[in-house]
Amino acid sequence: MKKIFFYLWILLIMSVCSYNLTIHYIPNIVYTVFHYKIEKNQNIKDNEIKHFDIPSDQSRNVVMPNPDFLYSTIFYDLSEKDLNINANMPDSTYWSVSFYKPNTINWFVKNDQEFETNNLDLTLTFNDSKSQGVIKSPVKKGFMIIRILVEKKDQNSIDYYKSLQKSITIN
Amino acid sequence: MKNKVIIPILILLSIIIGGYTAISKINSSTQNNEFSIKNGNWTVNPNMDLKNSYQRAYISRIGVFALDEKEALYFLSSKDNDGDPLTSDFDYQIIGTPPKGRYWSYTLYGEDYFLVKNVANIYTINKENLNIDKPIIVSSSKKDINWLPSGTETKFHIILRVYNPYESVYKNLESLDLPIIKKIEK
Repeated sequence: MKKIFFYLWILLIMSVCSYNLTIHYIPNIVYTVFHYKIEKNQNIKDNEIKHFDIPSDQSRNVVMPNPDFLYSTIFYDLSEKDLNINANMPDSTYWSVSFYKPNTINWFVKNDQEFETNNLDLTLTFNDSKSQGVIKSPVKKGFMIIRILVEKKDQNSIDYYKSLQKSITIN
Repeated sequence: MKNKVIIPILILLSIIIGGYTAISKINSSTQNNEFSIKNGNWTVNPNMDLKNSYQRAYISRIGVFALDEKEALYFLSSKDNDGDPLTSDFDYQIIGTPPKGRYWSYTLYGEDYFLVKNVANIYTINKENLNIDKPIIVSSSKKDINWLPSGTETKFHIILRVYNPYESVYKNLESLDLPIIKKIEK
């Protein structure tokens, strides 16, 4: 009888630990599943950019996509090299660059009004650096999103913003 | 020998019990918007750089890769002005002005938080495509102007996004005068 209570006590303690670990790692699990889905469905590897079309009801990668945005994304890996991000961005609409940790925390965001120019020229590094245009990532592996707002949905506007989206390059 | 059987069973059971309870807790928090600031029938999460594990898990469940409050605010409503769940069985009018910011939009999502299929491929009413002389109507049947289609969703959510909100907006989230979603005759 004593032994049964002992085992129940152990079960309770381990269940509480499992509960807390699950809560803590849910964001990482969400991120890992998203990473896997993008890698598998879009055939995209780390440090490769993926330009997404304007979200529709067919978009199932992430909940609550904004149908006013063109998204470009990269799963970055700075283990072996820094990343240079270059682009000609729009001059008359909202756009932003944001970075996330694998626990989905947004550690950096900067929008068009905060950049001095529409010619995006950034370096992402894991090493210490205070140079201008260099962003130090707190993690070796993470996620970047570049958002471009497309307010008008006429084909000319969409084509124009898509051409700018395609100018985003990573090397 | 006995312990060799009991210990793995205990470990497996604890993983199942703990994991299931945690996921149920986050799912129920998602349904009840437990970790959000409430203003009328809208809820909003101002700070995405979350230190609290529960809040972080909750945000990753409903709005992964969201931005912080200076960049964007996400007001979510799943109920009308009377507190009833939003459903495509009824039509609604959105009355009022969005909080001040650089850009705003209303977007309709299904119960699963994905965009809702509709014949017109309209998913959003925003600052640019709004006709300010006409009301915004949420309906499953086609409207000529300011139409936010609700498809065939038994339950749906409306997100009001405000990009680069004024400081007076993100510092007064609980007391903002937000638009209401009113049930109207179909």
